Amino acid sequence: MNHPLWDPISAKNKSEMSDIMQILAKVPIFSDLDSKELKEVEKIIYHRKYKKGEPIFRMGDPGLGMYIIINGAVEIVEEPENGIRTKLAELEKGAFFGDLALLDEKPRSASAIAMVDSDIIGFFRPDLVDLLYRKPRMGIKILWALSQVVGERLRKTDEQLTNLQREMKAKRHE
Amino acid sequence: MNNTSATPTSQLSKTIWRIFLIIMGVAFIFLIFPYIKTVLLMLVIAWLISVILNPLVDYFESIGFNRALAILTIMAIILGGIIALIIGIIPTVIKAVESISATLQSDLISNLTVQLEQFFQEKFNNPDLARDLMTKIGQIGSQILVKVASFLKNVGSYIAFVGIVPIITFFLIKDRRLFKRALVSQVPNRYFELFLNVLHKVDYQVTKYIQGQAIDALIVGLLSVIGLFIINLIFDNPVPYFVIIGMVAGVANLIPYLGPYVGAVPAIVLTILNNPNNVGYIIFWIIVVFVLVQLIDNNLVSPMVVSKSVNMHPITVVIAVVIGGNIAGVFGMLFAVPFWGIIKVTMREVSWGLRSYKLK
Repeated sequence: MNHPLWDPISAKNKSEMSDIMQILAKVPIFSDLDSKELKEVEKIIYHRKYKKGEPIFRMGDPGLGMYIIINGAVEIVEEPENGIRTKLAELEKGAFFGDLALLDEKPRSASAIAMVDSDIIGFFRPDLVDLLYRKPRMGIKILWALSQVVGERLRKTDEQLTNLQREMKAKRHE
Repeated sequence: MNNTSATPTSQLSKTIWRIFLIIMGVAFIFLIFPYIKTVLLMLVIAWLISVILNPLVDYFESIGFNRALAILTIMAIILGGIIALIIGIIPTVIKAVESISATLQSDLISNLTVQLEQFFQEKFNNPDLARDLMTKIGQIGSQILVKVASFLKNVGSYIAFVGIVPIITFFLIKDRRLFKRALVSQVPNRYFELFLNVLHKVDYQVTKYIQGQAIDALIVGLLSVIGLFIINLIFDNPVPYFVIIGMVAGVANLIPYLGPYVGAVPAIVLTILNNPNNVGYIIFWIIVVFVLVQLIDNNLVSPMVVSKSVNMHPITVVIAVVIGGNIAGVFGMLFAVPFWGIIKVTMREVSWGLRSYKLK
């Protein structure tokens, strides 16, 4: 909402936001949070630096939480024990991954490896649960946004599955 | 670091250097332990209080309180309660000590000795055994009284201790996440998720265990006080200082298997010293009260509030209590079992972490 009295102040607050805060604000699961709430998130995230080629997590590891790339790039790869290594995606600054692990501890479905020296922040399930107890309003905002992200992924997967089924049917008819 | 430096020889020397540093670190801790014992004890107590109070602080925060203000409010209420309790209890304890001393020096002991001598004469034809027994009981009683008296005399020196613990507790609750982040930041990337996951699991289970024990102790204490209060109502106050006895029973309940006796024995001894009519009958009812409290605790309270994740064999409990007593006296005995519980949970979770994470 634009208000002549508050605009300069909110503009000043935004300009004072750290890089991390700005990136956090762009992550869909934090997009509903105001600057005060983002500061609260900043208190419970973990800032890590990874060297080129260093794994962030491995396929099969118990899921613990999501990561957001502050600087650098990360590749998501499938590493089956006796199979071929398959690259699934390349992610860059501002991208996030591993968000499903915020919901349960199921093993990671792929590995995440730093492609260059990278600055990455992690946001983990136990801290989200703790936040839900301490700041329920804020926790619900995050969970709501997370459910939208998961819903969107499910919709896309559904579309891809339907397309695949159509293609298979068409091939069978040929 | 270039690749040539990471030869097997340099890896081996690194490992040896690390092992050497760990051994030196452990030796250093053992060397300075006597000097840091008090500080460690303060930290442990502050940490225990912080774990117990944290859910309350979280609740206050969830209804809109600032975290620091929530901690200060809760601590002020508790501190007020403790001060009121001390003001009420210390004179009672002093009176109790004086009264027990007087009773020990009165005719009651000599009468008891005469009766016991007769009993041993009739049954075993050995009255000296009774005299030896009474001398031993008298000596133990005097030793306990001397210790209680010296504790009461040194109350002033404990004030510093009591003053510092709340300050540490305040910061442990307020900056809990900050401390955790500082600790985790020291962990290499390779072990980061493993460490964080194990830390969360240990923290969760230990917190639940300690909070459960605290609630259990509170309920056992309250039930014991109520039970003894009813005996006092029915039999014209035969159990003196029943509130203190109930509180001791609650705290002693931290020690499984042994705790209930620590609660019941003082009640029985003080009742004997009080020498009411129908003493045998009253002792029977005191035993009934403590058995009932244990039944309620074991079948209702404990299964609901105390985590089963740290169940222990009775032998483990006895060994832990003896070792705890040797290291830190009464405090050591009380906290030996919870401490062993923490070690057990930590070892189990570390083992789970090492099995679940691919560290290569």
